[in-house]
Amino acid sequence: MKKGVVRYSLAMMILAGTLAGCSQGNGQGTGDMQNTSGTQGGTSAQSGEGTIKIAVAAPMTGDNSEYGIGFSNAAKLMADQWNAQGGVLGKQIKIVPYDDKNTSEEATTIAQKIVSDGDISGVIGHFSSGVCMTAAPIYEENKIIEISPSASHPDYSKIGSYIYRNNTIISKEGAAALDIAVNDLGKHNIGIISIMTDWGTNTSGIIKDQIAALNDPNVKVVAHEEVMEGSDDYTPAITKLNQAGADVVICAGMYNLVAPVAKQYKNINPDIAIVGFSNAYSQQLIQLGGEAVEGVCFPVVFFSESDNPDVKEYVDTFTQTYGSAPSALTSQAYDSVGVLLTALKEAGTTDSEAVSEKLNTISYEGVTGNIKFDEQGDVDKQFNKVTIEDGKFVKMN
Amino acid sequence: MTFLYKFESFVSKYRKILLLLMAALICLLPMGVNNQYFLTVIVKMAVYAMFGLGLNILTGYTGLVSLGHAGFVAIGAYASSLCAVKLGWGFFPSMLFGMVAAGLVGILLGLPTLRLTGTYLSIVTLGFGEIIKMVAMNWIPVTNGTLGVKNIPKPTLFGMKLTIANYGLYYLVVVALVICTIFCLVLVKSKTGRAFQAIKGDELASVMMGINTTYYKILAFVLSACICAAAGALYASLIGYVDPNTFNFDVSTLILSIVILGGMGTIRGMFLGAAILIALPEVSRFLMVYRFVLYGVILVVMMRFRPQGILGWKSQLPYQLSKLVMKRLKTAGTEEGGENG
Amino acid sequence: MITQQIFNGLALGMGYALIAVGYSLIFGILRLVNFSHGSVYAFGAQMAMIFIGLRFGIIPGLIASMLLTGVLGVTIDKLALEPLRKKKSIPIASLITTIGISNIVTNLLIVFFGSEKRAFPALFDFGTLQFGSIVISATQIGMCAVSLVLMLVLVGIVFYTKIGLAMRAAQQNPVAANLMGINVNFVVSFTFFLSGISAAIAGSLVGSYYQIVYPNMGFMAGLKAFAAAVLGGIGSLPGAIIGGLIVGVSESMAATVLGSTYRDSMAFIILLIVLIVRPNGLFGKKGITKV
Repeated sequence: MKKGVVRYSLAMMILAGTLAGCSQGNGQGTGDMQNTSGTQGGTSAQSGEGTIKIAVAAPMTGDNSEYGIGFSNAAKLMADQWNAQGGVLGKQIKIVPYDDKNTSEEATTIAQKIVSDGDISGVIGHFSSGVCMTAAPIYEENKIIEISPSASHPDYSKIGSYIYRNNTIISKEGAAALDIAVNDLGKHNIGIISIMTDWGTNTSGIIKDQIAALNDPNVKVVAHEEVMEGSDDYTPAITKLNQAGADVVICAGMYNLVAPVAKQYKNINPDIAIVGFSNAYSQQLIQLGGEAVEGVCFPVVFFSESDNPDVKEYVDTFTQTYGSAPSALTSQAYDSVGVLLTALKEAGTTDSEAVSEKLNTISYEGVTGNIKFDEQGDVDKQFNKVTIEDGKFVKMN
Repeated sequence: MTFLYKFESFVSKYRKILLLLMAALICLLPMGVNNQYFLTVIVKMAVYAMFGLGLNILTGYTGLVSLGHAGFVAIGAYASSLCAVKLGWGFFPSMLFGMVAAGLVGILLGLPTLRLTGTYLSIVTLGFGEIIKMVAMNWIPVTNGTLGVKNIPKPTLFGMKLTIANYGLYYLVVVALVICTIFCLVLVKSKTGRAFQAIKGDELASVMMGINTTYYKILAFVLSACICAAAGALYASLIGYVDPNTFNFDVSTLILSIVILGGMGTIRGMFLGAAILIALPEVSRFLMVYRFVLYGVILVVMMRFRPQGILGWKSQLPYQLSKLVMKRLKTAGTEEGGENG
Repeated sequence: MITQQIFNGLALGMGYALIAVGYSLIFGILRLVNFSHGSVYAFGAQMAMIFIGLRFGIIPGLIASMLLTGVLGVTIDKLALEPLRKKKSIPIASLITTIGISNIVTNLLIVFFGSEKRAFPALFDFGTLQFGSIVISATQIGMCAVSLVLMLVLVGIVFYTKIGLAMRAAQQNPVAANLMGINVNFVVSFTFFLSGISAAIAGSLVGSYYQIVYPNMGFMAGLKAFAAAVLGGIGSLPGAIIGGLIVGVSESMAATVLGSTYRDSMAFIILLIVLIVRPNGLFGKKGITKV
């Protein structure tokens, strides 16, 4: 009899929880369920009426959680700074994180949830291009502004007028990386190693096109190796690149590609030069790569050692609050929140049409450079050329 | 146990009324709840319940645990979305094509694994799931590789596009789920279903009894693959975008958890399992960080305390003869009894 | 280049062999495929990184992580698997339980340590040897040496000690072993402890070879090592090493000839072929009973 009671009550609880969960999503759910998950830091926001809510949709669990948590932390930092000065439009700002596990399925569910909520003034997210492009039509249809700090697919911002991107476009970044390899480092036999994701495939394709467009008979691609994201052992690919005679390797991947490739390559060829992209720019690269990543170069829009006092202050505050230095992607999220809040302030309302109008004309000085969205919603940024010397990022001369 | 007995007898007595009530509730649900997010979650639950029903045929009835069912879903999703996007076919022909493709692959998978039992079979299915993912990633001319298939069109019926907004997709998925459930119910009661359950019970004995285990095992694979592929096609049009990473080992584990949580070998269990496991992330956003841990804990706890699943009592009952057979037995019994005096 | 790739493959294979030994140990005694071995391996590597980072010295750090991982193995057995054995539940139950545990351990690691990849100190930083055009690093030689030593030690324990005798007895017939006065539960826990230690050793070695650790490192490596164990004959310790080497070399060859994106599936294709053609593997004993 007792067992039956236990089972019955368990069943009832599960049923009640399921129904409650569904009804919470009805849009009447207030800030309770959508609490800021207390990972790090805190906001000074109060729940209930009188808050401006900004959603951060990114992977908070799983393999890419470091990036999602980074976005969320950066957003909270910006929100805290604004809240300390009275918030925006007289209300406090609240950051609401959503975990999309970097899958399109979760992203669509979250997008539906956000648009049903009705209270969200803008979304910072998502993380990878494919996921962003799945969720974007839902935001566009429901007139919610989405600013992605990391989408790189050229077609992303074309999805609509409410879709913005605060990330470099691959074609411009590819040209900058190529410029470093050919002009600054003076190498001609280019090997490409790229990860098997939509970003990696696109980027390597664009680099190859640009090399062909250079029309220089000396500069050529000697080998292009595609590797699975997240493997540790790149020795077969590296042996092939070495055999093909590459003297510079362009790594289309994040720090977890560049660091091991640097290590494993320098074991067989200590003279190899390595060029990366701005999304590999993070402290983790130096920590993971150690000596091997000395001399790795990239084009970046965010330079944490910059002389700019705003950047310095941001880096210091971030490191103090969260214990680690901000990376390029994190800083782009930080700026995305900043530009959104500025647009809200200047529009004087949370109405998305007005805010979107403002976003189209605004010019915002952020830690990642000047943000000015063009007609499609992309930004054009100046690249700094950075390399690693003595375990620190320094500007190339 | 008396509670369960009362519950079961209540349900069987008022079966027709309860069915009507449920049907009414399901039909009127979208009108009452005017919320796209809520409807999306319900549709997701229905699609996952279909996945569970598909896997249930293989695991719950035939006893072959498959850890790679995301592969069949992937085949269905990719085949139907590629047909729709690249060849411009309508939704239903694409879905059929996906089912056929998955069925063929099911035969391919079933044949070499006939000799394997238990864990070995599971590991092979796991490898199969990974191989499908790798094919999707590398067969670039057909599947677009990692870029995936974008802008998958929603199904159209008589010229009308079925989306969440106009409740069309919801009704389509409900109809598909009902058809699938009826199919499974009929299957269980049929000779094929009994053969499946015999194989699960004791394979050696079923061979002795003259059941062609080879044929039935492969049939189980094929049926399971077809249902999962059909659900995969619906899933693809719901999300609108498929890429190889959508169908990884986590999805296979999730489907397996649905089957186990709900109850292997029961049909109602699939609904409950899908409802709980899909609603759980929505309910527990504050447990966001521990979500995957929770899935693992559910598996461990269920296996430890209630391996037959929450609604598993039905599968442990002795086989129920159908009404017709019961009637015949009764009349035969009274006749004999009368004769013997 | 081919010879260099073969050597790369051998080094890769040694890593798999180390993990495969743990699978063979558990399967040999319990006839259970321990799906959670991959996550225990990742746990061992993370613990090793943390303890070495605490600056107690490399050897104490390694020993601490080995003990801790062994304890994790015993905990898994006591909490999750022993009750199932007591209940005489269906074999699928243990498999699914181990999958669940693998999920729990990996994700707890992600929650507590973050999903970033971290640097692991190189344990054999003695440079490289050059034979003609082939480069062999000291770490690879170290891995080879340690795995051979580990295998010899384990074979020694299983075949030449009392507790090894108890392990073999418990595998053949647990009831009879109990009647003979062997505490079968203790023996099983001891096996898990050994398996945990070998997972920690594997984690430290592989971590020092690639100099990377991260919570999810156990998933793919665990599956490929399982393929290696099956190839060599699951339950046979020398077979695990040979199987690991073969899987490693074929993966390297696949990466060279077909491209690096096909390498992961090589192990599964091998697994499929082995299970279809010769389920006992190369060195396995005949008569695999229904698992």
